[in-house]
Amino acid sequence: MEIWRLPISASQRGKLISAGYTSLSSLSSISSSDLARELNVSESEAMNILKVASHSRGSETSNASCSIVEGAQSAWDMLHDEESLMHITTSSADLDNILGGGIHCKEVTEIGGVPGIGKTQLGIQIAVNVQIPNDFGGLGGNSIYIDTEGSFMVERAFQIAEACIEDMSEYNRFLRKDFQECKIKMQPQDILENIFYFRICSYTEQIALINYLDKFLSEHKDVKVIVVDSVTFHFRQDFDDMALRTRVLSGMALKLMNLAKRFSLAVVLLNQVTTKHTEASFQLALALGDSWSHTCTNRIVLYWNGNERYAYIDKSPSLRSA
Amino acid sequence: MARLANLETEYPVLDSTVRNFCASHGIFSVEDFLIHDLYMLAAFAEQNNSSERLKEGIAQVLSIIDDMHQPWLNGMELLEDAKRNKHVFPTGIQGIDLLLGGGIRVGQLTELVGPSSSGKTQVCLRTASNVARNHLVLYLDTGNSFSPQRIAYFLGKTINPSSAQAKNQFLQKVMSNISCHSVFDIFAMFDVLHQLESYLRCQDGRGDCQMRLLIVDSISSLISPVLGSSSTQGRALMTSAGYLLKKLAHQHNLAVLIINHTVGGEGGYSKPALGDSWKCIPHSRLFLSCDRGSNNYNVSILRHPSMASGKAARFVI
Repeated sequence: MEIWRLPISASQRGKLISAGYTSLSSLSSISSSDLARELNVSESEAMNILKVASHSRGSETSNASCSIVEGAQSAWDMLHDEESLMHITTSSADLDNILGGGIHCKEVTEIGGVPGIGKTQLGIQIAVNVQIPNDFGGLGGNSIYIDTEGSFMVERAFQIAEACIEDMSEYNRFLRKDFQECKIKMQPQDILENIFYFRICSYTEQIALINYLDKFLSEHKDVKVIVVDSVTFHFRQDFDDMALRTRVLSGMALKLMNLAKRFSLAVVLLNQVTTKHTEASFQLALALGDSWSHTCTNRIVLYWNGNERYAYIDKSPSLRSA
Repeated sequence: MARLANLETEYPVLDSTVRNFCASHGIFSVEDFLIHDLYMLAAFAEQNNSSERLKEGIAQVLSIIDDMHQPWLNGMELLEDAKRNKHVFPTGIQGIDLLLGGGIRVGQLTELVGPSSSGKTQVCLRTASNVARNHLVLYLDTGNSFSPQRIAYFLGKTINPSSAQAKNQFLQKVMSNISCHSVFDIFAMFDVLHQLESYLRCQDGRGDCQMRLLIVDSISSLISPVLGSSSTQGRALMTSAGYLLKKLAHQHNLAVLIINHTVGGEGGYSKPALGDSWKCIPHSRLFLSCDRGSNNYNVSILRHPSMASGKAARFVI
C-alpha cells in the first residue's frame, strides 16, 4: 500500500484509503478540486497531498547520472573532505590526543561522567575554544550553549575566555615575532558575545528548541558547535511513558545528527551516569539506557582514578579505545 | 489498485452502468473486488437487466487483477537462479566467514545486532571495503559513523605498497565504488530505496560493474521514532521497509546488511530492538558482542536459513 509512504497526517491518510485511493498511481490523474470534493477536505489540503504524492513519484522516475541516488557521495570524495575538516581542541593535550586532534565536526560526541568531574567546565571550554581564529589553528566560529541545569556561570566563562586569549598571545609570541598585537584584537567580551545561550526548563522546550535550531542555523551560518549541557536532565525523572521517552529521544538525536551533517558543525552532549549491575559487579554507565547509547557517534566517559581524572573512549567509528 | 472510475478511460467496458452496479454492492476500486464474493456478484449480474455488459465488466476487472501478480516459478528455475546469481560475499573477517560458511549471501537480508560499541559498524565497513573491489556498494548512514579513513586503512592492509602512487590509484578506484548517503528519517529512506529501485532496473541490462551490496546503518534509529505510538503506522512502516529491502535483495541480486540495536530484556539480558514483529523479517541474524577492554569480539548466530543457530565464533578486527 503505497500511501503509507507519504508523510501526511493520519486523518488525511484515513480519508484517502476509505475513498479508495491506495496507491500513488491512482492519485496521478485527478485534479485537486475533484480530490477535495471526494475527500471532504479543503482545496489547499488536497493540493498539498497531490504535491507530496507527485514529489515522491517524481523521484522514482528520475535517473541520477553519476551517483546511484541523489545526494550520495563516494567514499573517495568523503576521504578528501575529512582531511580538510578541522577539529576543536579541548585545551587538554591528552584528551586531544585520544580524540585524534580534538572534537570532530559533522559528528555528535557525547561526554559523560560523575557529578563534579568537570563536564560543564569542559563544555564551556569548548564553547570558547571554537572561537579561536583560523590563524591559531581554531575554527573561528560561534557557539550555541543550551543549558538545562542552570550550571553555566558567566564569571567562569569570562575567566576561561581571558585565559584563552593569554594562551593565544603567548603562542603568538613564540612563533610569529613579527605579526604582533594587531592579531589579538579579541577581548574577552567578544568571546562572550559569540556564545548564544539558551536556557530551557522542560523537555518540551528542549524539543521545541531543537526544532527551531534549523531556522536559527540558516540565519547564523557561523555557528560551529552546539553544546547541550545535560541532554538527559529533563528525561530522567517523572517520565511515565517509557515508550514515549524512547521515541522522543531518538527523534531528537536524529535531528541533531541532521544539523551536524548539514551545517558541518560539531554537537557535544553532556550526560550523567547511572550504575549498571552486570555480572555481580557495579559499573558506571551513561544515563538513559541502551537505546540512547546508539544514537551518538562518539562517546567519552570521564572518571576518577585516585586523585586524577581519566577519560575513556567508549564508542567511535574511527578511533581506537584509549 | 485504482478506482473503477479512473479506469474507464483505458477500459471503456467499465462504463457507468457497470460502476453503478458495483457501487450498489459497495465496490469502488479494483481492490474491493478481491474482498467480495465473486459468485454472488455474478449471480446478481445475471438477474440484472444489462447482464451481458456487467459480465464483460467483471471479466475485464479480473483480467486486470491477473496481470498484477508475480510470475510463477518452479523449483528448477529457482535452482538455476540460485546457482547463477546468488553468490556469497566474504566479509574479509576470517572468524565470521568461517562461521557463515563463506560470508553473507546475495539475495538475503542479514542483520547484525549488538550492544553499543560491539563492532557492528566496523564489520560493515570491512565488508564494504571487501566488496567494493569488484562491485558497487551503497551505504546508508543515520549516525554519521561512516569513516572513510577506516576504509582506507582496511584497504591499505590488504595490498602491498609497491609505490605511493599505485596505492593511491588503487584506493581511488575502490573507494569510488562506495557511495554513502545520510538519511535521517524513515520517509527519506523510502525515497532513497525507490530511487535505487529504478536505478537497479536500468542496471540489470548492462554488464559492467554492478551494485551488489546495500548497507543500512542503522535501521533501528530510523524506526524507533515512529514505533509504539497509539497508531499502527509505525509498525506498518517497519514491515513495509523490511519487505522492500527483501524484494530489492531478491529481484536485483543484492546482499543487504542492516544494523540493529539491543534493548534491555527480562533478567538483564539484552535482546534485539524493534520487537517481535521485526524478528521474522531478516533472513539471518547475527549477535555481536565485545569483551571489555580487549580487541576480541564474539559473534553468534541467532537465525540463519542454512546454519544451526547458537553457533559462535570469535574474531578480531
